[in-house]
Amino acid sequence: MKWLAWVVAAGVLIGLAIMPFFVSNYIVTFAIQIFMWIALAESWNLISGFTGYVSFGHVAFFGTGAYTTAILVSQAGWHWFPASMMGSITAAALALIIGYPCLRLKGPYFAIAMLGLNEVLRALVSYFENFTGGGNGITLTPIQSIQPLYYAMGGVALAVVFLTYCIITSRFGLRLISIREDELAAEAMGINTAALKLYAFLLSAAFPGIVGGFFAWYSSHIEPIGTFPLLTTITMIIMCLFGGKGTVLGPVLGASLLSIFQEMVWARFLFIHQAIFGALIVAVVLLMPKGMLGVLQERYRLPRTI
Amino acid sequence: MLDNFILELRDVTKRFGGVTAVNRCSLRLAPGKIYGLIGPNGSGKTTLFNCITGLEVREEGEIRFRGERIDGLRPHQVTRRGIGRTFQVIRIFPELTALENLLVVTWSPFDGALRRARELLELVTLDRLQDEYAGNLSYGQQKLLEFARILMTDPDLILLDEPAAGVNRTLLNELLQAIRNLRSQGKTVFIVEHDMKVIMDLSEKIFVLNYGENIAEGPPEVIQADERVIEAYFGR
Repeated sequence: MKWLAWVVAAGVLIGLAIMPFFVSNYIVTFAIQIFMWIALAESWNLISGFTGYVSFGHVAFFGTGAYTTAILVSQAGWHWFPASMMGSITAAALALIIGYPCLRLKGPYFAIAMLGLNEVLRALVSYFENFTGGGNGITLTPIQSIQPLYYAMGGVALAVVFLTYCIITSRFGLRLISIREDELAAEAMGINTAALKLYAFLLSAAFPGIVGGFFAWYSSHIEPIGTFPLLTTITMIIMCLFGGKGTVLGPVLGASLLSIFQEMVWARFLFIHQAIFGALIVAVVLLMPKGMLGVLQERYRLPRTI
Repeated sequence: MLDNFILELRDVTKRFGGVTAVNRCSLRLAPGKIYGLIGPNGSGKTTLFNCITGLEVREEGEIRFRGERIDGLRPHQVTRRGIGRTFQVIRIFPELTALENLLVVTWSPFDGALRRARELLELVTLDRLQDEYAGNLSYGQQKLLEFARILMTDPDLILLDEPAAGVNRTLLNELLQAIRNLRSQGKTVFIVEHDMKVIMDLSEKIFVLNYGENIAEGPPEVIQADERVIEAYFGR
């Protein structure tokens, strides 16, 4: 069965690799959007799904990456790709600074601290006008072709999914789960929970940093409100919960299905599409608190490593 | 002198607000023996274990393990120095399998760790349930799993907090035999237990806490006849 899964995965990857040559720009753009949500939801999963520390401010790392990239491209003349990598490093550095004190907080206190971080960053980029353009934001040269972005975003999504698989099949991953299950017991069993939480937090911040960089390049204009919206964090949480937190493919499933669903509903019900989306989320949380994969895992005794 | 004892507590005190849970408690444990810790409910037994393992920070006094001070260390640092413990209320990782519960606490190479984990599961008769999620095991089985988990860290000093509670007689006999085997391997075992028969049969020396104070210590037969102990349990 395992070889079959790898064959299917290889087939899907080859299909996605050649897809831009056969489909319209609309489909490619939509695929970029799905890749972005996969990367964001899976990144959130790394800290919140595995360790149980629910972050309500993960878009802060996305915004940090976006602004770092935009500043480096517009003011220092960097190419978008290394600038995005630097966005990732900056987001990880921010996670290191913030994570050290904040990961000592438990439950809702951590969630609120992260929410606060996002608001602080949004205020800071609005305040330092000379550097960030303030409320007007930063405008970049529009992209000429979306294909490089398709491969770049797809590569990041693939990388974070693969990393999650490597983590969940390792003892590092088991230790992260043990923190979620009972942090005190994990600590008493010799697990350095503070260090492990910080490692997971750094990894979970680095990918939104790159994605934020790609987003800045793709949208060619960023400003504080559109770059640090709470809705982005909520969407990545919903996608992860819908697919199944603490799994590898749950966020992939959640991001893909909800993006498709949202696109279909948005086109047909322009004024009430968000209400329909909200109702679906309520139904999922009530009926499938462990998400789609969680239900399948329980019913068919599937391994946790899917 | 200190090196002769694997664990030494000197005037350890821990307060919670106005309540003194452990009051100037001193005791010494020699290696390779089984020790008991008894006392009425609320006498500070679990708090003392928490102070030793770093889960609570003592306010006064010294705690030394193999002659080195360990008070002030974080729990994982204490554990890595060679002290393992179980909890009064079971604290396994329910969404990890029985096997994973053991693998997660060791840093040795994977193949060796896997072999050792399977041996320990066999020791506690859980080998056929190795792939079962720990949360699906019965209370007694979870208790045994928790016991196996601390052995996985290969500690020299093992603190067991009420190991017999909720375990049926058959499993209990196996558990008690496993504890005796630990002593024969040179491990030191320190047990909190309310089942007097269990603790009197197992222990070579017993400490008695009352209101956080170490009011008596000695061999089981001496403790059973000690007036202060009888008074602590039954009153005058």
